[in-house]
Amino acid sequence: MAQGAKSSTGGGFQLKIRGPREFFGGLALVVVAAIALWASSSLPGQQGFAFGPGTAPRIFAGLLMAVGIIICLTGLLVKGPAIESFAVRGPAYVLLAILVFAATIRGIRVDVAGIPLQIPAFGMVFSTFVAFMVSLFGSSEFRWVESLLAAVAMTAFCVVLFVYLLQLPFNLWPMF
Amino acid sequence: MTDLLANLALGFSVAALPYNLGFCLLGALVGTLVGVLPGIGTVATVAMLLPITFGLPPVGALIMLAGIYYGAQYGGSTTSILVNIPGEATSVVTCLDGHQMARQGRAGAALSIAAIGSFFAGCVATVLVAALGAPLTSLALLFGPAEYFALMVLGLIFAVVLAKGSVLKAIAMILLGLLLSMVGSDLETGAGRMTFDVAELSDGIGFTNVAMGLFGFAEIIRNLEMSAESRELVNAKISGLMPTRQDLVDSSGAIARGTILGSILGILPGGGAIVASFAAYTFEKRISKNPERFGRGAIQGVAAPEAANNAAAQTSFIPLLTLGIPPNAVMALMVGAMTIHGIVPGPQVMIKQPELFWGMIASMWLGNLMLVIINLPLVGVWVSLLRVPYRLLFPSIIVFCCIGIYSINNSPTDVLIAAIFGLVGYWLVKYDFEPAPLVLAFVLGPLMEENLRRAMLIARGDATVFLTRPISGVLLAISLILLILAMLPMISKRREEVFVE
Repeated sequence: MAQGAKSSTGGGFQLKIRGPREFFGGLALVVVAAIALWASSSLPGQQGFAFGPGTAPRIFAGLLMAVGIIICLTGLLVKGPAIESFAVRGPAYVLLAILVFAATIRGIRVDVAGIPLQIPAFGMVFSTFVAFMVSLFGSSEFRWVESLLAAVAMTAFCVVLFVYLLQLPFNLWPMF
Repeated sequence: MTDLLANLALGFSVAALPYNLGFCLLGALVGTLVGVLPGIGTVATVAMLLPITFGLPPVGALIMLAGIYYGAQYGGSTTSILVNIPGEATSVVTCLDGHQMARQGRAGAALSIAAIGSFFAGCVATVLVAALGAPLTSLALLFGPAEYFALMVLGLIFAVVLAKGSVLKAIAMILLGLLLSMVGSDLETGAGRMTFDVAELSDGIGFTNVAMGLFGFAEIIRNLEMSAESRELVNAKISGLMPTRQDLVDSSGAIARGTILGSILGILPGGGAIVASFAAYTFEKRISKNPERFGRGAIQGVAAPEAANNAAAQTSFIPLLTLGIPPNAVMALMVGAMTIHGIVPGPQVMIKQPELFWGMIASMWLGNLMLVIINLPLVGVWVSLLRVPYRLLFPSIIVFCCIGIYSINNSPTDVLIAAIFGLVGYWLVKYDFEPAPLVLAFVLGPLMEENLRRAMLIARGDATVFLTRPISGVLLAISLILLILAMLPMISKRREEVFVE
């Protein structure tokens, strides 16, 4: 998205991005609004006095697009702070941990390039422990012994809390 | 008046049942526990702990959730004062003077004033909720779809006005929230809307998933960016919990003013505890004879915001319980909890389930009392929690959130949706968009659309109905004026900036 109009000249007034947070933020909103308009375009609209299912989404998507454009324009006119850099490590490991949890807690079927891939249900003990270990890497300070102990303790705590005290129907152990 | 007393008596008879007392205590304790931990706000706390109330009877579940809510407020102030880390957004201002007091060796006084202020505010707010419940409920029965729609517009405009930063961006967040709330089956026709043929989206996006993503996961990702040094502990000795006579005299006015301000801001939709604490602090500083003391350990600077945020936390139950409209994100979660237990929030609750309504109100007072009695001696325990390094804390939060989300529907997809919203939340923060208005709009969305559609249908497609009906006309006029007032300074400032270029 960063390869938008970096700078272009228009008339005597030089158009450049003065507030990148506004410009790209607004641009993203416009894109979202456009997707919403496209996704709701096939829905029936107003029929007689009654709103159809597509009416309200189109109204709000239209409004969002308008506001997005205005925000985008202010980004061209008004000087604003630069965009903070995005961290990679933290979000990546946090995301990976959550993905691992979601994929293993009760098994999931995914098609990777046409090949069906079956992940079996590993159960709560495994999912919790592994998700904990993976997310630990999101921090730059990592110590093996301490981490393993904490992961075991947290897994035990969750099992006791959710399965024994709250009686939630979770599989504890892998089921293949 | 006798009605009020009779109702409160009923409430206390319900709330004082041993197991309800137990739920109240447990909620307050767990809320404090999580509130103390930095990096998870009230919304995430309540969302995270929502599943643990599923197995309980409805009254017990709501009592416990309410306890978690004000417990979290309370826990937030403890860490603000002792270690200068606001556990909750509501206690950011408490840091300013509270931590200064702690550094001057007066941590005990600050903590107890915060507790006393909160308790006093809680008492007043409890009475207020009880007193306003009945009249507002009868008002609610006069409301038609047009009025409900206008009221929700007002609520959202409040959220825009009170949001920090750009008004336009807040409006954009509102619209985005409304749009997201429309994903899924249409209420009337059942047609799938914006689902992209994903089966899991046909029921819509779950609110807890959005809340956990934007407030839980996104916060963690944000926190991981910060260096470890910013979480340094001050090992201040806490001695002499009792405030001196002078402290009490100094802070009594501030507590009273904070309570009033907080109560008002809490009732207004879109407001809530965060704004209340900021407003109370600013107000206190402005009317003070020696404002230079603020930020250097002024006890009023602790008393006023703490009283205000607690008052607001409780009065924000008023619109929920009487009108069925959640005024902020936490209350939206309460709607979710009520729905799971088969209760439709709104005027009917008070009429059909008086023991639930009044029991919950009475439990708020009891919960506040418990917090004062239990928490002051437990301060040491809470502080020792902060010694758990963040590198171990955040994986625990992640795992706990994952299990919590999964347990709601036994759905791995929900966990994935929350993860996506975590990334969205991270992106939003980087681009100066605030997630709170989005969440509020997301909750109000279905209600708003339903009332909009009904109003339009009743008026035979005539959109002027919103302006010609008196109550809704007034509400919309107020919304418009508020919006203009909020935009004016921005426009003039922007123009200046443009001309400087």
